[in-house]
Amino acid sequence: MHHLIPLLVAVPLLGAALLVATGRFLPRIAAEITGVVVSGGTAALAVVLLLNSEPPMVEWVGGWLPVGGESVGILVVGDGPALGMATLVSLLTLSALAYSWRYFDEPPTGHTGAFTALMLVFQGAMCGFAIAGDLFNAFVFFELMSVVAYALTGYRIDEAKAVQGALTFGVVNSLGAYAMLMGIALLYARTGELAMTKIGRGLDATGHSGPDALVLASFVLVLTGLLVKAAAVPFHFWLPDAHAVAPTPVCMLLSGVMVELGAYGVWRVYGTVFAGPGGIPAADLTRALVTLGTLTAAVGAVMCWYQRHIKRLLAYSTVAHTGLFLVGLGVLTPEGDDGVALYIIGHAGVKAALFACAGVLLDRFGSVDEHALHGRARRLRATAVMFAVGALGLAGLPPFGTALGKAVTEEAVGGPLTVVFVAASAITAGAVLRVTARVFLGLGPRPEDAEYETSGSDEEPETSGLLSRIPDTMTTVPAVLLAAALAVGVVPGFGDLVAASVNEAGSGGAHVSVHWTLHGVLLGVASTVLAVALAGLAVTRPAWVSAPGWAAPLRRLQSGHVGDYVAWLLMGATVLGALALPGVLGS
Amino acid sequence: MNRLRLWLLAVGGAGLAALLVAACLDLPGFGGRHHPYGDRAVQASLARHTANTISSVNFDQRAYDTLGEMSILFAAVLGCVVLLRQARDEHRAPPEPAEVARPVRRYALLVLPVALVTGLYVVAHGQLSPGGGFQGGVVAATALHLLYLGADYGALERVRPLGVYETSDAVAVCAYLVLGLASVLAGTAFLANTLLPYGTFNTLSSGGAVPLLNAAVGMEVASAVVVLLAHFLDQAVEIEEEHGS
Repeated sequence: MHHLIPLLVAVPLLGAALLVATGRFLPRIAAEITGVVVSGGTAALAVVLLLNSEPPMVEWVGGWLPVGGESVGILVVGDGPALGMATLVSLLTLSALAYSWRYFDEPPTGHTGAFTALMLVFQGAMCGFAIAGDLFNAFVFFELMSVVAYALTGYRIDEAKAVQGALTFGVVNSLGAYAMLMGIALLYARTGELAMTKIGRGLDATGHSGPDALVLASFVLVLTGLLVKAAAVPFHFWLPDAHAVAPTPVCMLLSGVMVELGAYGVWRVYGTVFAGPGGIPAADLTRALVTLGTLTAAVGAVMCWYQRHIKRLLAYSTVAHTGLFLVGLGVLTPEGDDGVALYIIGHAGVKAALFACAGVLLDRFGSVDEHALHGRARRLRATAVMFAVGALGLAGLPPFGTALGKAVTEEAVGGPLTVVFVAASAITAGAVLRVTARVFLGLGPRPEDAEYETSGSDEEPETSGLLSRIPDTMTTVPAVLLAAALAVGVVPGFGDLVAASVNEAGSGGAHVSVHWTLHGVLLGVASTVLAVALAGLAVTRPAWVSAPGWAAPLRRLQSGHVGDYVAWLLMGATVLGALALPGVLGS
Repeated sequence: MNRLRLWLLAVGGAGLAALLVAACLDLPGFGGRHHPYGDRAVQASLARHTANTISSVNFDQRAYDTLGEMSILFAAVLGCVVLLRQARDEHRAPPEPAEVARPVRRYALLVLPVALVTGLYVVAHGQLSPGGGFQGGVVAATALHLLYLGADYGALERVRPLGVYETSDAVAVCAYLVLGLASVLAGTAFLANTLLPYGTFNTLSSGGAVPLLNAAVGMEVASAVVVLLAHFLDQAVEIEEEHGS
């Protein structure tokens, strides 16, 4: 069974290569069927492997089994979290491909299968990153998923905004990747190893007196790369610019799972490489991740609230939620890891569904502007219901999977950090509910335009011409995704299953029972009530919740200037170093 | 905003620089004798009769990384094909024949076959001597473009049917993957180099699957570079913006 793990990468890549090789002769429908079959087949393989991941599997690609504890080969891991992420990636790719069924404008001449092929490479790359047990190999797939994502983001070349967003995305993420590569080089110089577990052991063997500057620098550099991908403040600027312009099916993948893979990478790399006595002390990691995570959640939530471009609004809500994931992972408890794992699964379904609904608006009205669409989407009842349900999922209304994950994480972080969770989820969900009320129900007065805003009104639909009728696929896919997000919280035993496999891989098999608690349910309901109240206030008394003076500079930081983003990236690396410094000085 | 950017750049850059300098002071000394990975890699390479250890690392020991790297090139080329396609407000104009200085023309046409053969040689001998699919592929692909320098764009286009190169790019990726999957079908690990005989050390057919994977990468890189350059050249030479837009 373990020999099949690398096929999670090989099968989608083979599908993509076949599509490109035959692309010019294939009719469009054949290309799309191939895409669905290949990504669905990979998803099935991932599920089968996941069901067999007890006890966790490992595989040495090329059959280079270790001799005397040493190997020259590459290790891939087949434990619960790795295969779970691969499954999530594959299922989400499948739904994105199903959503884009006959949806796009005509494909580029002579390259019928190009979009589908890019999506398949994206799927293979994300699976490869999820199962990587070798740090350099993780970097290779990190690069692969970035390269495909740039191309997919800029897919609609006729729009200047799309090309600009893709360029920003490309520059910032490539810099993150270089930082990561430099960090890997430093670790290799110290230990002579590339497999994550071996690097970890190498650091412990050489660092009897605790970490030194080299360990700190490699930690900062590797984490910079991963946090750029996870869009943590202040590395997050690329995300709203890219997510607002990428084609909708691509947004579903970017926001639903690619950004979360950054957080997963932080968990994997810290736990395997830096958690030992020669690595970065736990207190320093907690300080770094909780600080950056809280900041990310706050900035994401505030910026989310003040957007009128619906896709940008959803993008910022992703920023806010990754902040929460980082806080949950940062406290380094088994419960925190389990909660975040469930939260990520639930969030993927909810966020992808919300983007799918935003895509419906774009293709029906040629606009994703909350102000311009005021009351215009009254007829789209199904989409309206799904948008509202998605907002409730985002708020963490029990029994959604997001609510279960959030409740478990809140319990793990405890104390004042609970406030961050409740506030961030309530504000982002409130913003989405506000959009629902205005766009789909036409409630309240038409809001006034403010200065320095990105409106979403002069957008091109992604279909050939505006849709007069919404295809069934574009309604079914978000419905299925929301149902899945609900199932994560409802299916009995699912939480325990996730917790057991995460703990087996991460915290040495700690036994944690994941279940609904009164405390968690009350907090979930509180977030939802708060979200509804905020949305109600925004619709009926817009002046009360309009942007205060201090929010303006925050918005101006998102300048669209690549130079600014690069400067922030350097600053972020320095801040990360400063946050983790005490452990190095103290040793 | 400019001011803030400069401040951020200064503080962030200084912090990161300080961190890197401190890290470099902790690096192991230059020219040490302790190379745990290098020693193991050379042993493994010799055990499989591959004279060029780098190729053994690229196409045998860490062939899975190479799969990722060739996919990056494949995806980058596919991405460029998509991004550099003709936009709605652009049209194609046939390129003007260009006047080429006689010495340049003679030199280019003379060197072209030499460069092409050199490229193929570098690919073919990847398992024996420095070089291999990545390097040789680039040499072979650039050799073709001497025609652009020596003659003109029209001449290059005649020897460069893009569709064929795009297909061969994808076919090469398929070949690499199929070679990897063959070993899974045989019941061993993905990309295991255990199906073919290792041959006689330091001959062209040595190294088991290494020459095959190397050739697939050579084919992929050569086609990919041709396609990539073609799309950039198209933008520069053929595709023009509509007037008045």
